[in-house]
Amino acid sequence: MQLTHVLELYPDHSVTQMLFKEVKNAAELRQKAVEGKIYAALINPTMLVNPLQVLVAANKAVHLQKIGKMKTRSLYSEIIFNLSPTNNISEAFKRFGISDGDDSVMVVLVHNKQESKLLSDITALVDGRQVQVEDVSSLSDPAKIKKLYKVTPQEEKSSTLLDAVVCRMATKDVM
Amino acid sequence: EVNTAKDSSMALPEFLGKAELLKQGAEARVYRAQFLGKPTIVKERFKKQYRHPVLDEKLTHRRTVQEVRSILRCRRAGISAPVVYFVDYTSHCIFLEEITGSATVRDHITSAQQPDSCPDPQLERLAQRVGQILAKMHDEDVIHGDLTTSNMLLRLSPEDGESDLVLIDFGLSYISALPEDKGVDLYVLEKAFLSTHPNTEALFEKLLKSYAASSKKSSAVIKKLDEVRLRGRKRSMVG
Ligand SMILES: Nc1ncnc2c1ncn2[C@@H]1O[C@H](COP(=O)(O)O)[C@@H](O)[C@H]1O
Repeated sequence: MQLTHVLELYPDHSVTQMLFKEVKNAAELRQKAVEGKIYAALINPTMLVNPLQVLVAANKAVHLQKIGKMKTRSLYSEIIFNLSPTNNISEAFKRFGISDGDDSVMVVLVHNKQESKLLSDITALVDGRQVQVEDVSSLSDPAKIKKLYKVTPQEEKSSTLLDAVVCRMATKDVM
Repeated sequence: EVNTAKDSSMALPEFLGKAELLKQGAEARVYRAQFLGKPTIVKERFKKQYRHPVLDEKLTHRRTVQEVRSILRCRRAGISAPVVYFVDYTSHCIFLEEITGSATVRDHITSAQQPDSCPDPQLERLAQRVGQILAKMHDEDVIHGDLTTSNMLLRLSPEDGESDLVLIDFGLSYISALPEDKGVDLYVLEKAFLSTHPNTEALFEKLLKSYAASSKKSSAVIKKLDEVRLRGRKRSMVG
């Protein structure tokens, strides 16, 4: 049900995405993440168009960690920061991190080849129903996404929303 | 964390070593690979041995940034260009969407052009669309820098049947509002167009007409194009 992708540039790193609906303990999960007891990025799925968006953010985070140029303090906060079109860290958390009242959450993990323990540990912590990761598109809020990423009407005619979003994420440092 | 430096310096060469080399240019190598599960084109700018290393690094970095900025500027304006998936500013690599199932405008014209050179309405329509897109690009102050019919791809869109025109290779591009720069951009295309496709003067004229009709600022650009042509001719008379 989860989606695991081996990063082509860093083959000893895999990115696993797990999507949960009907989550009842978002506040507790967020608290655990803040305390560093959960090693994962907890993302609000309404701002996600597609799992590719998360892969783009995770690949960039791992790359910046390798070269020692992360803008935030951990790999997981860097993933959340990379999702955002701006360079404002607290805004990135507000838009893309989970909030206490959220009822769905995308959990993103970066790990070595076989770390099923890590995945099952997280699954055990979430009080919710795990669904297919691809279902994220049914939770996303295209109007909000277009506004935040400033997708222009002309661009919408010639590009998918996903492509527009990914392109901005990948290039934000030089814009 | 002990091996961080080694890891980061090894990751890319290993990745590119397994990729398919498409083109070895003077400034860059172009590869095809799977990246984030997607068919991807990787453009790697490499060191120029004859340049001073610090200057070389600066120039290469600037080119990479300019390429990425031009692509985004075009896309924002509704001009199709490959999606940027990732940029590595350490090794100067750009990871771009591969435009699959596409043909270059060059190949399209070559195969469509009839030997008797009677006007082909479909080619004329294509020339007009190229003119419109270049007008839009110049109105955004993007100068492509290397306009050829090989750097324009036709991608068949499954929905409406009309193929999508995609601009590629912004490696020499930059941002400028000067009519002179736009005029030179068109001049480069004219030279490439007429030498690649013999007997297409009328077709190229259609392209320019459509450019002039679509751009708000075209008259100054066309005037500059005429001046640049004249200079080119004078130079060839002297040389
Ligand atoms: N985004 C792309 N999608 C498909 N083919 C490409 C793309 N970028 C470059 N190519 C091909 O690779 C060749 C060399 O790339 P370039 O140096 O960027 O012109 C081009 O002439 C194309 O045939």
